Amino acid sequence: MIYQRESFLNNVARQLGRSRNISVRPERNWQFRPQDKTLTDKTPDELMNVLRDQCRLIHTELIETTSSRLAEILEATVHLYGGGPISLWKDPRFTEFGLDGLLKETWPLHNVEVNEWDPSCGRENITQAERANIGITFSDITLAESGTVVLFSGAGKGRTVSLLPRSYIALVPKSTIVPRMTQAAQEISRRVQAGETISSCINFITGPSNSADIEMNLVVGVHGPVKAAYIVIEDR
Amino acid sequence: MAMKIGEGKFKENVNKNMEDTFMRGAVAGAQERLRTRRLDAAEELGNWEEWRSHGEEIRKHVLDNLDYYLHELAENLQKRGGHVFFAETADEATGYIREVVNANGGKKILKAKSMVTEEISLNQVLEQEGCKVIETDLGEYILQLDEHDPPSHIVAPALHKNKEQIRDVFSDKLDYKMTSKPEELALHARETLRQEFLTADIGITGCNFAIAESGSVGLVTNEGNAGLVSDLPKTQIAVMGMERIVPTFEEFEVLVGLLTRSAVGQKLTSYITALTGPREEGDADGPEEFHLVIVDNGRSKILGTEFQSVLQCIRCAACINVCPVYRHIGGHSYNSIYPGPIGAVLTPLLGGYDDFKDLPYASTLCAACTDACPVKIPLHELLHKHRQVIVEREGRAPISEKLAMKAFGLGAASNPMYAAGSKMAAAMMKPFTKNDRISSGPGPLKAWTEIREFPAPNKERFRDWFKQHEKGGGEQ
Amino acid sequence: MKVTLFITCIVDMFQADVGKATVEVLERLGCDIKFPMGQVCCGQPAYNSGYVEESKDAMKKMITTFENAEIIVTPSGSCATMFKEYQRIFHNDPVWRPRAERLAVKTYELTEFIVHVLGVENIGAKLNGVATYHPSCHMTRLLGVKDAPMTLLQNVEGLRFEPLPNAHNCCGFGGTFSVKMGNISEQMVDEKVDSAEQTGADFLIGADGGCLMNIGGRIERRGKPIRVMHIAEVLNSR
Repeated sequence: MIYQRESFLNNVARQLGRSRNISVRPERNWQFRPQDKTLTDKTPDELMNVLRDQCRLIHTELIETTSSRLAEILEATVHLYGGGPISLWKDPRFTEFGLDGLLKETWPLHNVEVNEWDPSCGRENITQAERANIGITFSDITLAESGTVVLFSGAGKGRTVSLLPRSYIALVPKSTIVPRMTQAAQEISRRVQAGETISSCINFITGPSNSADIEMNLVVGVHGPVKAAYIVIEDR
Repeated sequence: MAMKIGEGKFKENVNKNMEDTFMRGAVAGAQERLRTRRLDAAEELGNWEEWRSHGEEIRKHVLDNLDYYLHELAENLQKRGGHVFFAETADEATGYIREVVNANGGKKILKAKSMVTEEISLNQVLEQEGCKVIETDLGEYILQLDEHDPPSHIVAPALHKNKEQIRDVFSDKLDYKMTSKPEELALHARETLRQEFLTADIGITGCNFAIAESGSVGLVTNEGNAGLVSDLPKTQIAVMGMERIVPTFEEFEVLVGLLTRSAVGQKLTSYITALTGPREEGDADGPEEFHLVIVDNGRSKILGTEFQSVLQCIRCAACINVCPVYRHIGGHSYNSIYPGPIGAVLTPLLGGYDDFKDLPYASTLCAACTDACPVKIPLHELLHKHRQVIVEREGRAPISEKLAMKAFGLGAASNPMYAAGSKMAAAMMKPFTKNDRISSGPGPLKAWTEIREFPAPNKERFRDWFKQHEKGGGEQ
Repeated sequence: MKVTLFITCIVDMFQADVGKATVEVLERLGCDIKFPMGQVCCGQPAYNSGYVEESKDAMKKMITTFENAEIIVTPSGSCATMFKEYQRIFHNDPVWRPRAERLAVKTYELTEFIVHVLGVENIGAKLNGVATYHPSCHMTRLLGVKDAPMTLLQNVEGLRFEPLPNAHNCCGFGGTFSVKMGNISEQMVDEKVDSAEQTGADFLIGADGGCLMNIGGRIERRGKPIRVMHIAEVLNSR
């Protein structure tokens, strides 16, 4: 429902000294577009360097690996972060990147609790994520400049997996890396303009949660994760 | 908390707050740190002026087409199952929110930091309804626990408090037994608030920028609290000032980058979230009901006036972080939830000159604010514009000042009068002069000489010397 | 070069030595100086207090007085800025706007003129001691003259520079602000004086009479052993 729109916007138009415009999309003739030339000339390897440097600034561990070693590296990282319980997305990429063995055999064998997001279980998912020591998701788009993983929510892709657990690990296929937020925004806008339904929640996550509200001292880990790691996977 | 945070007069507030040495030290330290971080973040882009110009053109374009974009925003959000309420006044906004809360049987309400909800006194309204309202931004949470101490900065609301004061508040209100280490304090807040998140009925957030093309609401935090506020409760209400909107994700990205770099010197903050309506079919988290309240509350009266550019503001506080006046008097002196240069421009527009006519004079017009603004609001010019309105349109200037300025107009503009006045000055000031200095001057000089020495007028004015120097060649 | 001097009312009445130094420096650089006696105040005190109409007569008087000048030079960043503001103030006035525009393009602050018009960076000045420099707000932010003063000062023989902490912060003058908001102004100028003292400098140098009157007045009141000098006086030292 939309309430009181007509009177409100008629008044806005009147203040602007003209009649209401509902139908003609305003022309956006920007004189400046600095984003088009920011990091756009970088090769994938150069972007990787940018991402690496940035992760140091945002208290985020960056681990680089290949598809074949991914299971081993993820297992070690989870171990290092204190093990389970683990909360993760129901995402076909876990299978594509050869992680079924780790998820369905190795961890259960070592009594590491793994909870895959299951929409049919409703709120139980949140309870599990809240109990989890580690949340794991893939990155849908990765921004080199700011060290950001972009997550599109969806049925198997709960919003809180990246937010409620004590630590967060993002799996970053190298092919998802783009220069900066500009490219992610353009992609999202393209989808909107094409009439696609975008996720009800798009999260741009840059390292662990933090606050400087007490005497400007940086405290890492306030409401969200205390630790964050990105595992970049060579996939091209 | 309404926009006005106290009853005191500006000068009294200033004198009181300037006694608070901790606050002043904290503000000075924060200013220096935030200023440096902002300049570094701007510098690394290499072409900051171009970014500022782009930010400015986007904001101007949006304001000029505000009716179109708000219409589009509402259409698109409705298509995604969200409800949109346009509120002309604070009462309309809080009235609608109260209805939504009651219809959902809401008792426990979680909030993420939002200036516009402070402006419309939302917490008081909901508390009167018997709701428990909990602020989740760490700074706001501290202030709320401390008997609703008002915010003193729009990005770092508890800037004026030190960690010992915060520890005492926690001990008093939360049975906290640890030290004043920020890490321990923050951990305690995390644990306490985590339980509240899981059991809240309603989540209320602000909106940094709404995105018209998709009907989305964009939220920017470092703590991740806005995410939890919107993900966990069954009902979410986002409240936005009507000007906080962009056409598409492309402009959203530009303004978010300007905001985070200018506010805290970060390329992006830890959490930037674009929410589009309630959860989708099959989602297991996110709100089942989504409401967007678009607030005017005096903003439309600014549109189409000489003050329109103040609505370009993206609430980054860069102007506050460089203001040499704010540095010494702190946020509470402004008596408004919007302090500093932006507050001194915006508050009289939204709250009227009766309560806030002193604020535009709380500036030396040094233009540090204008220089720092990422969307190029000419803040010092708008402060000056207020003074002009106060003098010319409102007629609120003191009589003595009016007479003095009238005299100035006559004296300064007329050559014979200027010449006579400047020539007589030395003689007139002679009784007050000692060693070429005036330490206790009469009339308007009194206020000056209470603080500093005033130079005695030259016995020989420059122009008299020059005539001699040129031997008659000076006059054109 | 023919230079018409806009000396500013502060210098005319209170800082004649700064005016003399300005003249001597410019003459040494080969300028032929004119001083129109019709000049008054630029109108800034009333204008900045919101009395726009009251200040317009002074502005018109100044425009008329300086209309025939080839180049206008003034030893004040703030007053130079004001001359350039006239075109905005008379924006809707078909008679005065073009005249204000012509005034704006030929107005220069002293150091900007020496460095960018005359192309001189070393003026052959000598002064022994440690100095710190306060960049005035209007000159740096509004007029955009940022580097010229230090370019000249660094070439003064015998002078060593210590950076002024938080130099970018306003000294608290602000025209009528200094008396209207005296309590705040006092705190601002005190911080400036403390910063200058921290540098251990013998001289605090600036390029704007108003700021120097404020800082200097406070230094004297507090009895600090720092000499406040206008940049023209420094450049005229030998």
